[in-house]
Amino acid sequence: MKKSNVFAFVLLSAVFFYACTKDDNATGTSTLTSNVVKDLVADTIVGLVNGQPVGVGKFTFYSLENNAVVPSTDSNSTKWDIAFRGTTIITNAGTSGPGAGGAFVYTGTFDELKTVPTDSTFKKDNAPTSYAITSGSNKGWYVYDPVNNLITPIPGRVLVIKTAKGNFAKVEIMNYYKGGSTPAPSASDDIKLKTQRFYTFRFVHQANGTASFQ
Amino acid sequence: MRHFLLLFFLAPSILFAQKKSDSLFNASLDEVVVTATRTPRTMGNLAIPVSLINAKMLYQSGSLRLNDILAEQTGLMITDNFGKGIQMQGLSSEYTLILLDGEPLIGRTGGVLDLSRITIRNIKKIEIIKGPSSSLYGSEAMGGVINIITDRAGQNKTDASLRYARFGTIDGAVNFSRKYNQTDIQIAANYNRSEGYSLKPFAIQKTVEPFWKSSQQFNLNQRITERWKTGLGLRLNNTYIDNSIAVQNLGSTIISKGFEKNDEFNVTPYVQYQVDKKIKSVLRGYITGFNALQKLDVKDAYGAYNDQFKQLFARVEQQTDIHPTQQSTLTLGAGIIREQVSSNRYDSLSTVRNNQIAYLFAQHEHAFNSKLVVIGGARFDANKAYASVLSPKISFQYKINSYWSFNASYGRGFKAPDFRQLYLNFTNLAAGAYSVFGTEVAEAEIKRMTDAKLLEQTTDVFSKLSILKPETSGGLNVGIKYNHPQKLNVGLNIFRNDLSNMIVTDVIAFKRNGGQIYSYFNLKRAVTQGAEINLSKQLNKAFNLQGGYQYLYTADKDVLDAIRLGSVFQRDQSTNMVTRMKWVDYGGLPFRSKHSANLKIYYENATGVFATARAMYRGRWGTMDLDGNGLINRADEYAQGYFQLNASAGYQLNKYFKLMAGVDNIFNYKDILNLPGNPGRVGYVDLQINF
Repeated sequence: MKKSNVFAFVLLSAVFFYACTKDDNATGTSTLTSNVVKDLVADTIVGLVNGQPVGVGKFTFYSLENNAVVPSTDSNSTKWDIAFRGTTIITNAGTSGPGAGGAFVYTGTFDELKTVPTDSTFKKDNAPTSYAITSGSNKGWYVYDPVNNLITPIPGRVLVIKTAKGNFAKVEIMNYYKGGSTPAPSASDDIKLKTQRFYTFRFVHQANGTASFQ
Repeated sequence: MRHFLLLFFLAPSILFAQKKSDSLFNASLDEVVVTATRTPRTMGNLAIPVSLINAKMLYQSGSLRLNDILAEQTGLMITDNFGKGIQMQGLSSEYTLILLDGEPLIGRTGGVLDLSRITIRNIKKIEIIKGPSSSLYGSEAMGGVINIITDRAGQNKTDASLRYARFGTIDGAVNFSRKYNQTDIQIAANYNRSEGYSLKPFAIQKTVEPFWKSSQQFNLNQRITERWKTGLGLRLNNTYIDNSIAVQNLGSTIISKGFEKNDEFNVTPYVQYQVDKKIKSVLRGYITGFNALQKLDVKDAYGAYNDQFKQLFARVEQQTDIHPTQQSTLTLGAGIIREQVSSNRYDSLSTVRNNQIAYLFAQHEHAFNSKLVVIGGARFDANKAYASVLSPKISFQYKINSYWSFNASYGRGFKAPDFRQLYLNFTNLAAGAYSVFGTEVAEAEIKRMTDAKLLEQTTDVFSKLSILKPETSGGLNVGIKYNHPQKLNVGLNIFRNDLSNMIVTDVIAFKRNGGQIYSYFNLKRAVTQGAEINLSKQLNKAFNLQGGYQYLYTADKDVLDAIRLGSVFQRDQSTNMVTRMKWVDYGGLPFRSKHSANLKIYYENATGVFATARAMYRGRWGTMDLDGNGLINRADEYAQGYFQLNASAGYQLNKYFKLMAGVDNIFNYKDILNLPGNPGRVGYVDLQINF
């Protein structure tokens, strides 16, 4: 991993990797991987501009194929599949990257999604007006509570991803805060700002090109 | 029946001179209520659930404002948003009609009529009708009706009272009444102030800011001849609240000084004509106005904040009561209402929005024999600004024997769309630049913004924008009562309210700057159902025990459908894992407690000493969604249930002086987040002088 700047180093070093657990499915194929990624930093807040919290504005790129963070110097490559910046999630296609990726948001539980439905349409990003995973509160994967200033992933939303190579994966965002634990509504704004933009998500990746997740 | 009619003739003096109200029995069978049928009826002869709070209970409970005493009643919850609201049978504040001497009070904010506006220092009794009563009262009487009846004593009486309580609270009241030959007058004045309090010790802004409230009331009744009677009521009610708002904008705090002022007046003239023994007719006029002003000297880019709301309600109503036979009563009525509102939230103060309503109602009560009474009635409201409504109701009572009685009623209720839902034109510059447009102005505003290229897109629901219909409900109440005079009173009432066409906001468009635009739609359907049990037992000459419990189930019907379809999900707080929500996980409508109860003991002896201890329990209630599904389901989405114990004791020193002291919330229960209106333990002393 080449580090282009100190900030990227900080980003990457804050990422915790958890061991891959290969699915022991009946057929014994090893094309299916299932992982949980914890505390993936996604442009954490560095300060206030005009009273609004801001990060440095950079995406954190992730390879679902390799279960690893991809340096931002490789942003214009097919090495990454999904990237995070605040609440914005992009996939490697369209205006976001040169890959054959795409995504759509599926409603249901993660485990019940055993195969990508045949009538699925994978959308491509067209920044900044539209994203395959729609940005905005209650439109895509999260809801923002303006009273408590909290971001919560909507339960029952699964991001069905086409990787840069064109393989299928399913991703579930589990939490947006450090340690996978949303602050209490009564927590201070300071805590809410400092602990947000740390993604906990799980994914299942199918490497053999089929639409099956089992 | 004839005897009753005679009573009716000489009303109100004879009715009010009855000593029955000395009993603390909540439902003493001989006590007279007027709200249930719009004609005086004794509690023992009612086909619908009614509870009564009399003057003695009001005094001994140490209550000052209407919300104080209602908070101690079975099945009533006080809510704390835009003032003290009431929740009845699980229906929120906007669905309960509040009457003062039979006339509706106006001046609601966000649907809530702030009960703390109303002093109970001159109240004779409070009648609470549960279940839809739109068949008699029209809009808002969906969950029920609360009628506050002032003390028109018709006797020579002067009293004054003074209270001091924690937080610099002072309450002074003077009541004066005189009875002359054909005339009786009553004058009442009340002043109430408090320095407010802070639940967070170092906060710049107090949880409740200093305020004062004042009220003056004048009533005149004049008998002209045996048959003709007339009268006039005047009331002025004012509240003033200091306002220091500290806006935290991510680190920087902006303090703004200002105030909030509400001025209310009521004028109630009437003429009554007793045609003969069988027919009585009353013509009533009513004009009431409510002006709210909020001024803030904001020290930031937005400048001074000035919010004004003016409402006027005028009504002429004719009611005729006919007794064609001894066994039946026919009540016929008709009226015209004109309402107008202006606010700088609706275009500008100079634009006056108005609505006219013409209505007719009829009710027939018939006693088939000494056991069975049936009441049927309906009201038709023809409205200018929204669709017309017919509200029927049928109820019956069956006396099984001298102890047991059974009753059932079904009625339709409605609530008219209010002016904000029709005409609001509001943009919040501070919080996300969102806008809310009433349905009558939304289309024009969207067109204007489209032309000005301010819009990004309209949503699918925009095309569904249409003329708002009134919210409607159907309410069923089935009850059984056991009454052993002066010993034991037990009542069980089972209720169900089906609400439809409930008005909710939805996003109709997105602005280019990211802000959302909302309007109103008749979308939601909900159900509230449950059971209420009340008990009152005279333990011995000195002790009276009262208790009550309410079980309440509420749900959004669309959510129930979605749960049935399996399309609702929830996330576990500790594991972050998602599961499909089951029926049992769903906590229903927010701010509803499944369980609530009270237990009260009243002591009184012949030497003029009294003491009370009143315990209230409110079970947990849903407050907010935290797992992103917009629903109440997870344990951390509830406010904790709690007990509150209030006690008071008093002594009649002599003919002139009555002394009382009390403590509310003895265990000092506080919940800063969910009960900002609860300051903790409050002690008070109270002196009453009878001249």
